[in-house]
Parts: sequence; C-alpha cells; structure tokens
Amino acid sequence: MIDNIQRIQDEARSRISSAPDTGELERLRVHYLGKKGLITAMLAQLRDLTPDKRKEAGALLNRVKGEFETFFTSRQGELESHQVAEELKKTPRIDVTLPGVSVASTGSLHPITKVTQEAVHALRRVGFSVAPGPEVELEYYNFEALNTPEHHPARDMQDTFYIEKPVLLRSHTSSVQIRAMKAMKPPLQIISVGKVYRSDYDQTHTPMFHQIEGLMVDETVSFSDLKGVMHYLIKELFGARPLRFRPSFFPFVEPGAEVDMLWGDSKEKKGKPPSPSDWLEIGGCGMVHPNVLRAVGYDPDRFSGFAFGMGLERIAMIKYGIGDIRSYFENDRRMLEQF
Amino acid sequence: MQLSINWLRDYLLKADVKIDASELAEKLTMRGIQVGAIRQPSAGLESVVVGRIEKIEPHPNADRLQVTKVIISAEEGAERLQIVCGAKNIAEGDLVPVALVGASLPGGIRIKQSAIRGVDSSGMLCSAKELGVAEDGEGILQLPKHAKLGDPVSRLLGAQQSEDTILELELTANRADLLSVIGLAREVAPLLKTKLREPKAYRFPASQHRTSSVIKVEVDDTACCPRYVARIIDELKVGPSPEWIQARLESVGLRPINNIVDITNFVMYEYGQPLHAFDLRRISSGTVRIGPCKEAQDFTLLDGKVVKLEPGDILIFDGDRPIALAGIMGGLNSQVEADTTAILLESAAFMPQQIRKTAKRLGLSSDASKRFEKASDLAVVAVAGDRAAELLQEAYNANVYHPAIDTNEFGAKEPVLALDMRDIRRIAGIHTVSVETVAELLETIGISSHRKSTNVLSVRLPTFRQDLKESVDLVEEVARLIGYDSIPLKYPQSSAMYDRVDESRYEFEHRSKHLLAAMGLRETIHYSFTSEDNLARFGLLNENRVVIQNPINEDMKVMRTSLLPSLLQTYSHNHNRQIRDQRLFEVGNIYRSEPKAETRVKEVLHAGVLISGHCIPPSWMGDERKVDFYQAKGLLELFLKQLTSITPTFEPMQDSRLFHPHRSAILKLGPKEIGAIGEIHPVVRDNTLGTKESVVLFEISLAALRKFERVGVKYKAPSKFPAVEFDLAFLIDREISGQSVDESIRQSAGELLSDVAVFDNYEGDRIAAGKRSVGFRLSFTSNDRTLQDDEITSLRKKIVDAVREKHGAQLRE
Repeated sequence: MIDNIQRIQDEARSRISSAPDTGELERLRVHYLGKKGLITAMLAQLRDLTPDKRKEAGALLNRVKGEFETFFTSRQGELESHQVAEELKKTPRIDVTLPGVSVASTGSLHPITKVTQEAVHALRRVGFSVAPGPEVELEYYNFEALNTPEHHPARDMQDTFYIEKPVLLRSHTSSVQIRAMKAMKPPLQIISVGKVYRSDYDQTHTPMFHQIEGLMVDETVSFSDLKGVMHYLIKELFGARPLRFRPSFFPFVEPGAEVDMLWGDSKEKKGKPPSPSDWLEIGGCGMVHPNVLRAVGYDPDRFSGFAFGMGLERIAMIKYGIGDIRSYFENDRRMLEQF
Repeated sequence: MQLSINWLRDYLLKADVKIDASELAEKLTMRGIQVGAIRQPSAGLESVVVGRIEKIEPHPNADRLQVTKVIISAEEGAERLQIVCGAKNIAEGDLVPVALVGASLPGGIRIKQSAIRGVDSSGMLCSAKELGVAEDGEGILQLPKHAKLGDPVSRLLGAQQSEDTILELELTANRADLLSVIGLAREVAPLLKTKLREPKAYRFPASQHRTSSVIKVEVDDTACCPRYVARIIDELKVGPSPEWIQARLESVGLRPINNIVDITNFVMYEYGQPLHAFDLRRISSGTVRIGPCKEAQDFTLLDGKVVKLEPGDILIFDGDRPIALAGIMGGLNSQVEADTTAILLESAAFMPQQIRKTAKRLGLSSDASKRFEKASDLAVVAVAGDRAAELLQEAYNANVYHPAIDTNEFGAKEPVLALDMRDIRRIAGIHTVSVETVAELLETIGISSHRKSTNVLSVRLPTFRQDLKESVDLVEEVARLIGYDSIPLKYPQSSAMYDRVDESRYEFEHRSKHLLAAMGLRETIHYSFTSEDNLARFGLLNENRVVIQNPINEDMKVMRTSLLPSLLQTYSHNHNRQIRDQRLFEVGNIYRSEPKAETRVKEVLHAGVLISGHCIPPSWMGDERKVDFYQAKGLLELFLKQLTSITPTFEPMQDSRLFHPHRSAILKLGPKEIGAIGEIHPVVRDNTLGTKESVVLFEISLAALRKFERVGVKYKAPSKFPAVEFDLAFLIDREISGQSVDESIRQSAGELLSDVAVFDNYEGDRIAAGKRSVGFRLSFTSNDRTLQDDEITSLRKKIVDAVREKHGAQLRE
C-alpha cells in the first residue's frame, strides 16, 4: 500500500502542476480528494491493515493529503493569475480623463426655503414651535386685534390687497399671533412663517415676500428676553454681530424697536466707529401691546410678551449677497443652482 | 418731514449751540427719530454766480435751444460767456444764476466746457430745482434786480440757507407732534444739552373789532370738530411774504406763493397745525358751520378739481353752502384771490379717522391732511391761529380782530396717568431706575410729573403727546430716554417650550420639499397671483377662482388655481436663456373660493413638478434619453412611496388644453381627484412655449396626501427563505390598462406574492394589430418555508386563468 501511495503521489504531483486550466484542476481534485477519490478510498482501506501498518500508512496518507491540498491551492492561484492576466490583455486601459457621465443629478432648495429652515431650526432649539395660519385672512386678525383699527394711520405702512372686505391677503405674519393666542393659553412660544403680501412693486419691493416672526408670552417676559433671543437668532444666522435696538413704532408692540446689525468689513474699520451705513436694518420687534393681549383674552397685568419679525428675502439678501429682490421670483436656473 | 437746523435754532434756548449734524442724526435715530439723509443745500453752489443775459439768439441746429451771451462782471469790456440754454422763460437783461465750468450742482450735475448740437457752451443757466433750493420749479431762476454781477448766488438765497443743513426725517406714524419744528426742538434740545425755547404767548391789543360781531361759528357735531378757532383779519394786501419766511419755506422744500399761503404754511411747519384762509367776501351768510356732509354731491376744490362728496365727509359751510373740505382742501368758491383784503383764518381740529378716510378715498393726501389724520393737540389750535395773525399784523400791519371765536376754549385736557416703576422693570427689563430719575427724564421732553409713592409716579400727559395713552406708552418713553442699548440682555426660560404646537403641517411641507430636491429637482417660488389670461389659456380659470380687488396690475390679479402655469413661465424664462433639461418644482398654495370657509377662501397646499429635455443628457457615451410621461410618473411614484402609504390610480385624462391628450392622466384616490400628470399639449409646446424639448408636468395635492403620511416604521423581518421568480407575458387588447392586469395578478396570487414588475410592453409587427404584449415578473416568498415546485406551478396556473378570464388575455409561451 505504501508503494501504491508513493506512486499516486508522484503521478498526482506531475498532473497537478501541469493542469492547463482551473476546470482540469477541479477534476483532479475530485479524482484524488473527492468523496470517491483515490485518497479517500485508500483512507477507507486502512482499517483492513494490521495496526502497525495502519499507523504507518495512515500517517503517510494524511501527509500526502495535506500536500495535495497545498498543491491544489498553489496551482489554483497560478492558474487564476494567469487567467486574469490573459483577460486584462483583452481590455485595454480607458482614458480616465474623459468626463464622467451623470446618472443622477442633485436638486436644490430655493434660497428663501434655506433661510426659512435655518431660522426655524435655530428658534426651535430654544423652545419655539411653528404655528399655522392662513395667507388669506380676515381684517380682524391682520389689523383690528393687532391694535390697528380702521383708519389708523399705521395702516398706511402696509398697503393691503383685498379679496373682498373684510377678507384680505395678510400683510404680515403677525396675524398668526392672534390665532395662536386665541387657540392657546399662556405661556406660549411660537414661530409664524410664510408668504405675506403688500401692494408695493419697485426695485426694492415685491408684492409678495416672506416673513418669519416669533412670539413669546409668559409671566416674566421683558425686553431683556427679547434682546437675548434676537442676539441668539442673529448669531445663528450670521455669526456673532453687534446689534442695536432703535425705538420705533408698530401698533401691536409697545415699547417697539427696530433692530440693526453691524455689517461691513470689520478688519478695515479697526478702531474706527461704525458709520450709519454700516448698520443694516434686519427686523422689527417689541413688547406685545396690552391691547393685543386684551383682544385675545390674556390679562396684561399678569402676562407680558415679546414679538419680532424679519423679512426672509432681506436675510437671504444679506447672507448670500443677492442684489435684486425680484430675482427671487424669477427663478433663473443660474441663480437656483447656486443653492 | 424736513428739518432745517437753522429754523430749529429759533426754538433752542441756546440758539448758537454747536450742532454736528451727523452726531445729532445718530442721537435722534437712537431716540426713534430716524434720519434718512443729511443735506447741505449750499454745497456745490460756490461756483454759481449772478450773470446777466446780454443777448439771446436761436440755436442754428435745434429749435428747442437758444444760444445766450452772458456777462458775470460789471466791468467795462467784461468777457461774454456763450451758454446754450433750453428754457423758454428768459429774456435779454435778466439776472440769472450761472453755473461756471467746474461747478458741481447739488443734484450731481458737473458743469464742463462742452458743445451742444455743434455750439460751444461754457456753463449753464440754472433753475431753482437744479440749485437744490426748491423741489420743483422749472425754468431758469430769476434773481432780484439788486443782485450784483459775479456774486455767488448762495448769498442771495439767504445767508441762513446758504449755511443750513437739512435733516430728512423718517417719522413713525404715532408721533404727530414731530411734524413741527417746535415738536422736533423739544426732542432735540436735551440731546444738545439745552432746552426748548417755548414760543411766546401772542397778545393782541384790545380791539373794537371782535370776530363774533361779524360772523357766527356753529359746530354740528363736536366729534367731527372738537375745536374751531376763527378769526377775521382785514386791511390786508396779497403780495409776497417776508424774505425770511420765504427762506424758511424754501429750506424745507416749499415754494413761496404769497403772504397768506406762505404764512399759513410757515405756521403749519412751525406748530404742526394746518390753517386755512377763506376770503371773507365769500362768507355771505354770516355763519360758518362745520358738520358732516349729509348727501352725496359734487364739490369744486380750489385747484379746480371736482370731487364727489359722500355722507360723513366733514365740510365747512357758509350757511348751507359747502366752502371747504375740512382738513383737506378749500373750495374754489371761497379761496383767497389777488384782490382779497379780508380773510377768515381757520385753525381747527377734526376727527382724524374721517379726514383720513376722505383723503384716502379722494386720493388727496396733503401736508395738511397728513397732520389732521393724527390726533390733534387741541391747545395748539388756538396758539397757531394767533401766531399767523401776529405774523400778518407784524409784516403788513393787518388789522387783527380780537378776540377770535373759539368753539372750545378749555378743550385741551391733560389727563394724569400713574406710572409704576414695577411696570418699567416688568416690561422694559430696566431695574435700576427710581421715581426721581424717571421724573427727571420725562421732564427733559416736556412731560411733568410728581411722586406719588416710592414706586409710583403721577404723570401729566401733555396735550402735544396724543400718542401717550396708557402706562406702557410711558414705559416706552422711559426706555427710549434711557436708551434701548442700556437695557440688559437675558435669555428667557419658559415652560412653554415643553408644550409645543402641532407642527405637522410645516413638517409635511418641508419634508416634501427635501424629498423633491433629493430627487434632483430645483425648487422655485412664484407669486401666488397671476393673470386671468395665464390661467385661461390652459383652461384653468374656473368659476371658483379668487380675485384680488385692488391688484397692482392685470398680471397679478387672480390667485393661482394651479402651480403649473407659473412653472411654465419659469420654463420659458430659462429656455429663452438657452437653458435646457430643466428639472423644477414648487411647493405652495393654490386658492379657491369656498363659501363655508371662515375667509370664504380655501388654501390648498400643492406640489408641482416640471421636467424637460433629457433625463440622460447627450454625452460622448451616446446613450442619451429624453424625458417622457414615464420619467415623470417614476418621480411621482417615488415621491408618493417615500412620503405616504397610498397608491393612487391613474386614469387617462379626458380633455385638457395643458396636457397631451394621449399622454396624460388624472390621479385618483378612490373617487377623489388629487392630481394630474402628463406631457405638455403639442399646441402649448409649439405656440406658448415655442420649444422643441419634451416637457412633462405633474401636480398633486399635498393637502390630500397629508392624511396618508407615512409616519413611523413598522419593521417586517426579511424572509430567511429563497424567493422564487417567474415571468408571464400576456397578449391583451391594447386598450386594457396595465394597472388592471397587475391588480388581477395581485388578487389571484395571494399572500405569497412579494413583488410584481412590468419588464416588457410590446406592440408591433410580431403580434396582431390592436393587441399588445405585457410581460410581468413575479416574485414569491414565504416567511416560514422554502416554496415547493408544485406549489408554484399551481399558483402560476391560477394567475394565468384569472387574467385570461378577466381580460381575455392570452399567455405568450
């Protein structure tokens, strides 16, 4: 048997090393090591031998089997790399400098949506949530409840589109304040955001634009808190910037203010005081007027609140350097694709 | 409002206080009185001198131009400048302002040596407007005869004005008191560390002429007219007003007219109280009556314009004959004329709301009406009348009747309001002020008070501050005087943040936007209104449209009923700029009337998508692909799958002027239409858009989808057992929809079916006419076992039988 094993060993060595392809190699593997292969068969015959012989032949067989396996693996490797080399010969190198071919394109969000989401995101982090409200509104929510009765000179500040009195297109997002306060009990902290309409159309005005507005009412809310929130919001939108609060007038707040942000190149200006044109107006704000609180049934002696509003076109204008407000609604793709 | 610094000085106790205009502007701005611009009228006028026109000849090459010869020196043999001029109001011998070469005028014009239509011109003759001394004034400014040749004209325009500075103020609607020089001086004085020089009281010598001995004044309704002061002034002669008054008026952009008009205008600017003068000859009944208009009628204003009066408009009557539209404009029938020698001077207060209503309706907004639209200072009504009388007396020795008739001598009340320091802390966040400091601060702007307790100040509200009504108004005053910048900053904390509003609408809208952008589409935003034509041309102008009553123009008249027309407009905008392969979307509202809604309008959130040209653009690889119905449908299906749990049905569209009649569908959810999709109608493509690209659109109601929003995830473990797949190709009538066959397959296959996909759709030579072949690939899996061959065979048979029976389909082997 041992002779036999050695003979098989010699023969297999030469056949494995000369196998021309992986198919032949596999056939040889089955022939020697398969379930019905020669080596397997001889292992089965071991039990017919005397214990001495069995031990000797067994050891030999196992060694041979191990050797075969190594042979097969290494020949397999040889054949495979040969095959790959053959295949690569047939596929020449491509020109990697040619442009790629697009299979999918990315879209984009409108700059107004981008600043909306940024501002909403920032305000949500400090506890505000977005309250809904219609664009087509009643005079009551847009004006009267906001301490702006009919024939009040402040109505001139906003030339309003009417559908049919008392139905109008809201001239500011403040109408949502009234709806939210009527629907909820204080304390509350809401955002109102969306389209607003004013009859104004020139280089710096479009008859439709977007506003974002915040309102907070609680027992101990003061102008100091308004300042804190404005500073926070501007920092989130533009980075930390000096702000100034100027007294101003909106019928639904008292005290009322306009907020200016210091813009312009600070490096150039080092040491010099800012000039008036370095201050950019970014929004209006103030403490909710007691008449507004009364209109929604809140007790103005117990509750106080602040409100602030900003034009989103203006924010985008400052942030991205968009010069002409009308370009927002022209939707030129060369504009859109920059966002 | 324009504020002349020189005029302002008249009302400062330290009249010669040094004023740095930009510093003052900054301080005023921080006090809530915004300064929009600072102007120096004389800047640039150094090189404008007095010249005399020696000769005028027609321009050889231009009918409208003349060639003048001008001298600017009285010396013998002085050089004659040749200057081409376009104005017609010049004559030889006129003294006129000559801008010399090198001058730069306030309006920005720089004078250069030039040739105008072939004729050399060395300078320019100027109008008042070009010199910046009046807002209008066409024609060359005529200088007085005493002007000296060669002198700078700035000297003639009044020494004061030549060195004046004008602050252009942007006032807020609440501060009526600031529409006057005195009111502004009151605010400015403390900023300059001086005080308001209160105007003196006017006293007239006792006169045997009492106004009441000549006329009577009756007020029908004191709500319409809370105070009316009427005074007769006679022995007058209409003529130019004193030069100093003219200079004051010109400094704030008003053109001098005559002494009566100028003096009433002057007092209006000084006190903020508009006055009106009637020619006494025209008040024939002896009774001046003030009351509301009772019935609609026509009325001729002093400028000759006829307006329609409506009941409620406040009128001044001579007996029963209207002679003025109160607070807005006088009538032609009572105006002061060149030969007027006696006037009735009116100083009054009218109901602000009604003045505003009338002025707005008639489109007659004036300096006077703008002041009357705000609550008047009743105290100043009498004072301003006295002031005008005094000026007429001083300058023209006119006879002032005394006393005047006053319908409400004690009308000006000064209510008292308690200001609690705790409110200053609570509202303004200012914690450091005492009753004493607050009192001092208020005093600086003329508001007096006294201490009531440690925390409470009793404040007397002055008549000139009609905007102060409740304690919070005083809180603002205190904050304003201390400076908003001194208010400490803090960060709020409120339990409100734990009790949030339902944000699902906002969330859904923005989720949709993100998804569409992630699908390679670019977001657009369009106006919510469009023209009727733009909707009508696509058959989208339905009867429940919402129309704007006062649109800016016809292009912005009707609220959108669909997002698609705007997308097509943007498509054209970009297409005209050679931009191809557009992929656009918009998420926004459409509007329709809905009688039951609170506003009678329903806003419905929609999403609209437009794709054009190629989905795979031509490239060096060659395999380009154009967009078509199925590309858009693929986007729509992906959108629906990601966002919702529904599968709407697609029904062929019946007829549309927007969509291709054979390549479009209505989206339905049950019986409800929720959208539309299709290629553009060839007529729209060729005529409206003028494009050769394929354009495909869809629009869907997000409001309808929102109810089916896919929220949360219910996990299903993937099967551990292998899937079995087989294909079935059916030959069907071409009119049978793929979706109906798909449904039959799903119904008959049972729950082991995990997926059905269409892999082939063929019609052509290889099959009979009127037929098509649709190939489906079916996958089956079980969660608990490996499917057996016989199981699959019987399922296959069941499906084939069902489809054959239902659709007359034939299996292609």
